[in-house]
Amino acid sequence: MRISKIVRDTLIIAWIKSYPDFRRNPLFLLLITMISSIPLFFIMIFNSGGNMIVHGLIGAMVSSVGFVGVMAGIQDISWDRYVKIREMIVAMPVHPASYALGIALAPLLVSIPSLIFFGALIAALGFMTLETLTWTILSLVITWAAMSTLGFMISTYLLKSSMMVLSNLSNLLGIGLIFIPPVYYSEAQLGGLSWLSIIIPTSNAAGLIRSHMGLLALSAENVIVRWAVLIAMTVVFIVLTSVKAKWREN
Amino acid sequence: MEGDAVNSVRLCKTYHSKDAIEALKDVNINVSRGELFTLLGPNGAGKTTFLRIIATQLLPTGGDAMVLDHNVVSEAEEVRKHIAVVPQDVATYNNFTPWEYAYYFARLRGIRASDAKPKAEQALRAVDLWELRNRICQTLSGGEKKRAIIASVLSSDADVLMLDEPTSGLDAVARRAVWSALRELVRNGKTILLTTHMMEEAEMVSDRLAIVNKGSVVASGRPDEIKGLVKEKFRVVISGDFSQLSSYAEVAKLGDRSIVYVKTQDEAIDLLKATLKMNLRAEASPVTLEDVFVKMVGGLNNHENQ
Repeated sequence: MRISKIVRDTLIIAWIKSYPDFRRNPLFLLLITMISSIPLFFIMIFNSGGNMIVHGLIGAMVSSVGFVGVMAGIQDISWDRYVKIREMIVAMPVHPASYALGIALAPLLVSIPSLIFFGALIAALGFMTLETLTWTILSLVITWAAMSTLGFMISTYLLKSSMMVLSNLSNLLGIGLIFIPPVYYSEAQLGGLSWLSIIIPTSNAAGLIRSHMGLLALSAENVIVRWAVLIAMTVVFIVLTSVKAKWREN
Repeated sequence: MEGDAVNSVRLCKTYHSKDAIEALKDVNINVSRGELFTLLGPNGAGKTTFLRIIATQLLPTGGDAMVLDHNVVSEAEEVRKHIAVVPQDVATYNNFTPWEYAYYFARLRGIRASDAKPKAEQALRAVDLWELRNRICQTLSGGEKKRAIIASVLSSDADVLMLDEPTSGLDAVARRAVWSALRELVRNGKTILLTTHMMEEAEMVSDRLAIVNKGSVVASGRPDEIKGLVKEKFRVVISGDFSQLSSYAEVAKLGDRSIVYVKTQDEAIDLLKATLKMNLRAEASPVTLEDVFVKMVGGLNNHENQ
């Protein structure tokens, strides 16, 4: 299948999956921003000074892509299986990669307004330069890839679980990966356990963004290791998913 | 056979879960180009399994199957260029409109935007949804939702359409709209493979059909040929207690009614006369596809075969 067809189908599926929300469900876009903003209110109320708000805004950006990424992987795929749209697409001249990428890309599109909102606030606070913007976008894109493929992996391995189980699982994972680890707050607050943030894609990405913005002191070697871990985890998730995932059933 | 739209040779499928379940056993079916072929069978007969293998959604465990001379296992990508499928019990995205279904699914099949628009319009008109094209599916009835999905297949311009019980849950009017659209497609040279357990549907729309039971084809041919496979050509439905029932070999008892199957028109007339003498209500007619079907899948025994 030609690459141009794969890319075009990816965009059509992403559009199919995101366009109804843009057009008919703008409250959903607001909801993503609001959910990601909730910790910010607590940070403002219990502001202990320093750059806590910026830490929180970085967390909100990571949350925007992470939460919808993992939800998309699990809920969208299980929903498509439930309504049998997936069966229709399997029987079409559509490459499996187009379907997976399209499903993953849709929530990224939906989270763009909230990313712009949080990014603009960080810029207004004077922490966004062209260089930090580049690193931020790169971190967010890899986080999105990691979280989406994690979602795909879970939905693939839990093929026979009910919609309800998968829905609850995706919410639990979202909370577990975004609100508990140092995504909204600096990992420096974990003291000797700060290394834990490296093994969770969301907190790793947040740490990298903080480092590039000058909010977290990391050595050059440490930054390289963290990038390598983030990319490696994403690759592992992709490999594990592709090993198990089957476009056509046995 | 070469040149057929769909051809299966000794197609087998065994599901390996706790116990091995043989869903298809050596199924041989050929569907000619430009015909509407129906798989008719009770629930669990293997119709959907057959369709899913032909639609490249499921791998067989034995035998061969071809669509337009392309193997469904080794040339699945080529097969998918020529087919469009409506699965059983398919549901809609609630925030999608019928127009979006027809248009975007055509686009996904590689049809250019400028061509997809008229095809989507044609498909929506065919299933009588044009007026409702911009309403989100959440606000449509069950039948309208089903027709929106069917429109997404009709707009595909595929050569072979496969529909798994496409009219289940539709009212009579909606069902006829779908039948009409399907026959129109056949008239335009498309091939349709349909599954159903509705006899009326099979008889009304099919050029040919196969009766499938317990994973095997028990009969195939034109509807009139299938009806000709049984010796009894007439049925007499008798309301009330008919004392001479025991003298007939083929009787289906349905509560206070009985269906008596006889070989000739004269026998049917004699039976009518006998029932009239007993002041019973009776009605004679040629056997239906349902009668033949029930007999072939062994259902007659479920009704106190006398």
